[in-house]
Amino acid sequence: MTPFLNGFIITLLFLSGVYAAAVMERWSVTGHVNWGGPVRSFLLLFAREEIKTRKHDKVFFETAPILFIGVILLTISILPFAPGSVIIDLGTGALFINAALVYVMVALLMMGWAINGVYAMIGGWRAIAQLIAYSMPVVMVLTATVMRAESMFLTDIVESQKGLWNILYQPVGFILFYISALAIAFLPPFDLPTAGGELAGGVWADLTGARKLLFRLGRLTLVFTVSAAVVVLYLGGWMGPWLPDFVWTFLKTLLVAASFFAVGRFMPRIRHDHLLEYNWKYGVPLALYNIFQVGVVLLL
Amino acid sequence: MISVQLILLIIFGLAAIWFGWRVFMTSSMVRSALSLLGSMVAIGILFIIMEAEFLGVLQIMMMGTEMSIMAIFMMMYMMDPGGLGQMDMYHQKNISIAAGVIVTVLIVGAAFATDWGTIATQFPGPHEQNRLLGMEILKRSMMIFETAGVTILTGMIASIAVALSIKNSVEK
Amino acid sequence: MELLITALIIAAVLFGIGLYGALSQTNLVMIMMGIELMLGASMINLVAFWRYLHPEAFSIQMFVLIAMTVMALEGAVGFAIATQRFRTSGSVEMEESAELKG
Repeated sequence: MTPFLNGFIITLLFLSGVYAAAVMERWSVTGHVNWGGPVRSFLLLFAREEIKTRKHDKVFFETAPILFIGVILLTISILPFAPGSVIIDLGTGALFINAALVYVMVALLMMGWAINGVYAMIGGWRAIAQLIAYSMPVVMVLTATVMRAESMFLTDIVESQKGLWNILYQPVGFILFYISALAIAFLPPFDLPTAGGELAGGVWADLTGARKLLFRLGRLTLVFTVSAAVVVLYLGGWMGPWLPDFVWTFLKTLLVAASFFAVGRFMPRIRHDHLLEYNWKYGVPLALYNIFQVGVVLLL
Repeated sequence: MISVQLILLIIFGLAAIWFGWRVFMTSSMVRSALSLLGSMVAIGILFIIMEAEFLGVLQIMMMGTEMSIMAIFMMMYMMDPGGLGQMDMYHQKNISIAAGVIVTVLIVGAAFATDWGTIATQFPGPHEQNRLLGMEILKRSMMIFETAGVTILTGMIASIAVALSIKNSVEK
Repeated sequence: MELLITALIIAAVLFGIGLYGALSQTNLVMIMMGIELMLGASMINLVAFWRYLHPEAFSIQMFVLIAMTVMALEGAVGFAIATQRFRTSGSVEMEESAELKG
């Protein structure tokens, strides 16, 4: 197979993965599997009139959705789907994941600020508190995976899991990264910036039309991206018997995304003070313990 | 001799300067915090252009968090509504402009006057850089880096101690 | 050579802007922003010296890491002072803290 055809298939798989994430997101809210639902909401949002709030901050109002979707596409472009097919193989790939995901928070802050409404602004500030808190354990558990691979190339991190996947080698790190990925993608148990019940939609409360569409699409891509990051860092990436390598990455990513939405369906929304308390009091020390444990195992 | 590197350096340098200038020119606190973020990201991209990839990515990552915190503190203490603030908060404006211009001219003059010698053309790649930086930190400069760690701890304790509200038990 | 000079000029202009901001602003948080700009400019200088003069000396890169630490610490301690200042006098305007002169 030529590299071009490979890339085409991977792009198709990626788009269908995002579509599947959209279907699963609907399921996690309503409990029904509706295969045509995402198309209908896409067309609805595409054709709907754009209502702007009074005295919005024009610069941020226009740039925030583009920044949001842009950083997510940057993140997906450095994740390897198969040995040869990674768009940019950065020498600091593991750090870059966190660097790009920090700007999800900046985009949410900009949007919450720009709308000039109460709910949106509270949602924006909540997004800051949540994402700063949860990017701390992320960067620490990434350090542990880098320690094992002795390289920051994501392809090397996947190669280092040849004998034993990282989920078994550093289970504490996997659990922390999984929870932090849920929090970074602000999915239901942690969906405080866009909470449906208490903030009436939070950051997205006053958005309609194309901007809302960009944010919804960006969030679905974000879910797919963090699932792919979990697969690359902890579930052995493209490794697996019989099937071609990129199919394995795709299947694992879909499985992780489905588990994210299942957690969101069956868990109640966490309180905001609990969210911060659990992370700073238990998450960060556990992440430090994880680094220590991996270091000891590596030296033995 | 105009290279791609020079053009990129000029473009992102101008972006950094423009965002840096906007920091003190906007009337909204959040806008100036995010302009500073833009300036810092442009500086990080300058690092990446100058082949220091680890430092550039680290700079972009750290400043994203730090400037968002700055935005929330600005909002807490200044309370300007979205994009509506009209403020004039300057003092000793002429002296400041004079100081800024004079220092800039002095530094540029020094940069032109100095004989920089030969320009290096060989440099290690990003992966090799990460390894060498780690070796530098953990071998020769271990002591200095440990000092930085202790300084961070001191800073954490100091900032918490300063920010604590001390309840005066006498006035009840 | 022109690459090094360009980087140094960019850093010099940023340093000048930061100095202007730190001297002319009356708000504590804005003064901190000026200081951050100056530190950022000095970091550009360090990276330019590493890349164009001494690519083998990694103590320069470590110095940039220390400068980033200083930036973060300056932020933390500055915000702590701003919090205490706001709590005691209700504003972080430095013109109003003349009583510190003693």
